[in-house]
Amino acid sequence: MHLFLLALHVGGIIAAAWAGRRSMRLALAAAGIAPAAAAAWAATLMVRGTDSSDSTVVTWVDRFDITFRFTSGPVALMMTLLVSGIGALVFVYAAGYFAPTAKGATNFPATLLAFSASMLGLVWADSVWTLFIFWEFTSVTSFLLVGYKNTDAAVLASARRALMITGAGGLVLLAGLLLLASEAGTTTISQMEPVAGSTAALAAILVMVGAATKSAQVPFHVWLPGAMAAPTPVSAYLHSATMVKAGVLLIALVGRLFTGSESNGLPWGWLGIAFGTASVFWGAIGALRHTDAKLILAWGTVSQLGLMITLLSVGSGKAVFAATSIVFAHAIFKAALFMIVGEIDIRTGTRQIAELGGLARSMPVAFGVAVVSGLSMAGVPPLLGFAAKEAAIEAVLKLSGAEQIVVGATVIGGSVLTVAYTTRFLVAVFGAGPATKVAPRRLLMTVPAVTLAALSLVGFVLAPSINKILTPAASVFNPDSSVYELIRWPGLKTAFVISIAIMVVGGVLGWILTGRKASAPAPIGANLADRTLDGILIGSREVTAVVQHGSLPVYLATMISVAVGATVPFVFDGGTSHLVLWNSPLQGLVVAGILGSALAGAFVNSRLGAALALGAVGTGMSALFFIQGAPDLALTQLLVETIIVVGFVIGLGHLGREFPPVQTAWKTVRIVISLLAGTGVALALAAAGRQPVGSPPLQTIAEQSVETGGGNNIVNVILTDLRALDTLGEVVVLATVAFGVAALARARHSEEVAS
Amino acid sequence: MTQSPIVQQGVRLASPLAIAVAIYLLFAGHNNPGGGFAAGLVLGSVVALRVITGVDRPAWGSELVAGGLLIVLAVAVAPVLWGDTVLDQKIVSSTLPILGKVKTGSALPFDIGVTAIVVGLVILVLQGLHAEHYAGEPSSDHKGVDR
Repeated sequence: MHLFLLALHVGGIIAAAWAGRRSMRLALAAAGIAPAAAAAWAATLMVRGTDSSDSTVVTWVDRFDITFRFTSGPVALMMTLLVSGIGALVFVYAAGYFAPTAKGATNFPATLLAFSASMLGLVWADSVWTLFIFWEFTSVTSFLLVGYKNTDAAVLASARRALMITGAGGLVLLAGLLLLASEAGTTTISQMEPVAGSTAALAAILVMVGAATKSAQVPFHVWLPGAMAAPTPVSAYLHSATMVKAGVLLIALVGRLFTGSESNGLPWGWLGIAFGTASVFWGAIGALRHTDAKLILAWGTVSQLGLMITLLSVGSGKAVFAATSIVFAHAIFKAALFMIVGEIDIRTGTRQIAELGGLARSMPVAFGVAVVSGLSMAGVPPLLGFAAKEAAIEAVLKLSGAEQIVVGATVIGGSVLTVAYTTRFLVAVFGAGPATKVAPRRLLMTVPAVTLAALSLVGFVLAPSINKILTPAASVFNPDSSVYELIRWPGLKTAFVISIAIMVVGGVLGWILTGRKASAPAPIGANLADRTLDGILIGSREVTAVVQHGSLPVYLATMISVAVGATVPFVFDGGTSHLVLWNSPLQGLVVAGILGSALAGAFVNSRLGAALALGAVGTGMSALFFIQGAPDLALTQLLVETIIVVGFVIGLGHLGREFPPVQTAWKTVRIVISLLAGTGVALALAAAGRQPVGSPPLQTIAEQSVETGGGNNIVNVILTDLRALDTLGEVVVLATVAFGVAALARARHSEEVAS
Repeated sequence: MTQSPIVQQGVRLASPLAIAVAIYLLFAGHNNPGGGFAAGLVLGSVVALRVITGVDRPAWGSELVAGGLLIVLAVAVAPVLWGDTVLDQKIVSSTLPILGKVKTGSALPFDIGVTAIVVGLVILVLQGLHAEHYAGEPSSDHKGVDR
C-alpha cells in the first residue's frame, strides 16, 4: 500500500506540473488527490485497527542491509493523518490564497506535493536509510518552496540559509544514524535494542544535533523565521504541522534506544533538555518581541517544538505521552493560525500588528478560528491543547530532583509565556485599534481554517477517540506510555491548579506587553548565519585561487613531483640482480632510438619539432611492445601516437612556432623534476620487477577467454567481457571528456566572438 | 594548413581504404589484434586527416559519443532484463553464405559503441582545437577550399 500511495503522489506531481501550465486551481486540485487518499487510508486503518504486519520492504543492496522499509505502525498512521490530512486542507487553502492566474503556477502545486510525498516517506520510514533519504528530500523540496518567490534577493537568502542549516544537520544526522546502526547491529529502527558505550554516546549527540537543526532548536532556529518568506500555505504546512516535526519524530523514535538504561551515561536526555529549554524560552521571547503576525507564530513554533523535545528527552512514559499529544494538538492549531494570518495578509495587505486592528468585527469567521486555535495553543479548556498541556504538567509532577526543577521551570515558564504571546497576538490583531480596510472573504481559505479550528474543539470533546490514536503511538516511543490518555476534566488537582495559575499570569503578562509599542528586533542570529556562510564562500574562493592558479607548467610540475614522491618508497627496495640488459639486441636498438628522440624533444626549440620527437618516442615504445609480443598494445599505442601528433599539429596552429624563452631558475627546477621523475620511475619499475606478488593468472584468463568470452584474443576478451565493467567505466570517462572539450571550446569560441 | 589539391585527393582516395581497415580491426579484434578502440583510432585518424587537409569537417561528434554511450549502456544493461548479470556475454554462432561459420557475441555491439565514442571524441577534440574551421563562416585563410 505504501508504494501504491507513493506512486499516486508521483502521478499527482506529474499531473500537477502539467496542469500548472494551464491553471493554478486545476493543478492544486490534481495535487490534492494523493494526500486525501493517503489520509483516508490512514483513517481507515485506524478505524479497522492497525495491522503491524502491513509493512513494505524493498531490498536494494542486500549485503549492506540497504533496504527501504515502510511501516504502518501507530506512529506512521498518526503522522500520516497529520501530514496528509492537513496537506489536503492546505491544497484547498492554497487555491484560495493564490490568485487563479498567479505566475509561476507551474511549479508550486507539484513542488508542494513532492514535499508531501517526501514527508510521508519520512514518517513511514523504519530503516535508517529510508529515513535519511526522505529527510533530505524534505530539505530540498522545502528549499524550493521557501524560495518560491525567486526574484527577491532576501527570499533567496532565507531559502539558502534554511537549506544550509538543515542540509548540514542532515549530514550530522547521517553520521549519527550510521554509528547507531553499527552499534545496534541493524538498520531497522523498530528492531534496534538500546545501545550503550562511547560510540553510542557520539551517535546520540549527532542524532540529537541533526534533529535539532530540522526542528529549529536554539541555536539552529535562525532558519525558521527567515523561512516565513515562503507563501503562507507553505508555512502552514511545513513550518507548523510537518517538516519541523521531523526532528521531534526522530527524537521520539530513537529516544528509547538512548535512554533505555538509567546508568548508561549517554548525554541524550540532558542534551535534549538543553536544546528544548533554550528553545522554549528564546522562542517564546521572540514571539513576544516580534511585530509581524507570521513571525510571532514562527517563533511560537520554535518554543513549542522545544517543549516537545524537552518532554521527549525526559523520556518517562507520561512525558512521552504528553509530547505526543502536543505534537498532535500543535499541528492542528498552528496550521489553522497560519491560515488565518495568510488570510489577513491577503485581505488587508499587511501582517504588521501595529497596522492591524478591529478585525474581530470585520473578519468574524477568521476571528473565531483564531480564538479557538489560539486558546488551544495557550492550553485553555475545552480544547485539545489544554488536555495536552495538562498531560505535560502531570508528567513534570511525577519527576524528581534536578530534572523536576529544570523541566518544571521549562514547562510552566514556557506555558506562561505561550499564554502571553497568544494573548498579545489575539488582542493586537483582532482587538481595538484603527479599523483596517478588509477585502472580501475567500471561501476556499475559510473552509480549511474552520475545519482545523473545529478539530481542536471536537478533538477535546471526543478525547477517547483521539486517545486511540495517541496512546498506541506514544507506546511505540516508550512502552510505559500505554497506560496514559488525554483527560478532559481532571478535577481540582495540583496540575489543574497550576494550569489556572499559568492562564492568569500569562494572560496578564500578555495584556501588559500588548500595550507596549516595540519595534521588531534585528535578526542578529540570521545575519550571523549568513555572514558565516558568506565567509565560507569567500574563504573557499581564496583557497581555490591559490590552488587552481591556472598555469599549465606549474600544474604539470606539481603532478609530476607528486608522482616522484610516490616512487620514493621503492627507491631503496631495488637491487639489480634480476635485471637483464635485453631479451633481444633489437630492443637495444629501439631504446637507443627512443633516447635520441627524447633528447631531441628536450632540446629542440620548435614546438612542431618537439611534438614530432614525442611522437617518435611513442612509436618507439610501440615497437618495444611489439618485440615483447604484445601486438594489441603496440597497435593501439601506434594509433594513439598518430592521432596525438595530428592533434599537436592542429593545436600548434594557435601557438607560436618556437617555445617562449624560460627563466633560468624555472628551467633548472624543470630539469631537476624531470631527472627525478625519470630516475624515480626507473627505480620503482626495477623494484617492482624484483618482487612480483603471486603468480600471474595468465592460464586462467586464457582458458576463460576462450570458454566464456568466445575469443582467442585475450586482450580484447578482457576488455569486452571479463573486465567489461572497467571498459564501460573508461568509455564513460572518454565521453565525459569529449563533452567537456566541446563545452570548453564552445565557451572559448563565444568569448572570442564577444571580444 | 596544407590545402594542396594533390594531398586532398590523396586523402579522399585513402579514406575508404582506411575505413575498410577500421572495419577489419573491429571484427578481427575478437581473435586477432584489433578491437573497438583501435578501430576508433583508425577512423579518428581518417577524420583528422580530412579535417587537417580541409576535405571536410564533420560536426556530428556529440551524436557519435552519445550514440556510442547508449549502445554500450544498452549492451551492459540488456542481460539484466533476462535475469543475467550486468554485461553478461551472449555468443551467437551461425553459418552464413560466403563467410562460412561466423561466431559473434554481444561483445561486437559493445565494441561498436566504443568505436563510436572514440571517433566522436576525436571529432570533438578536433572541433575544439580547430574551432574557427567549425564556426560556420569560413575564416580568411581558406576561403577557396570550402566546398
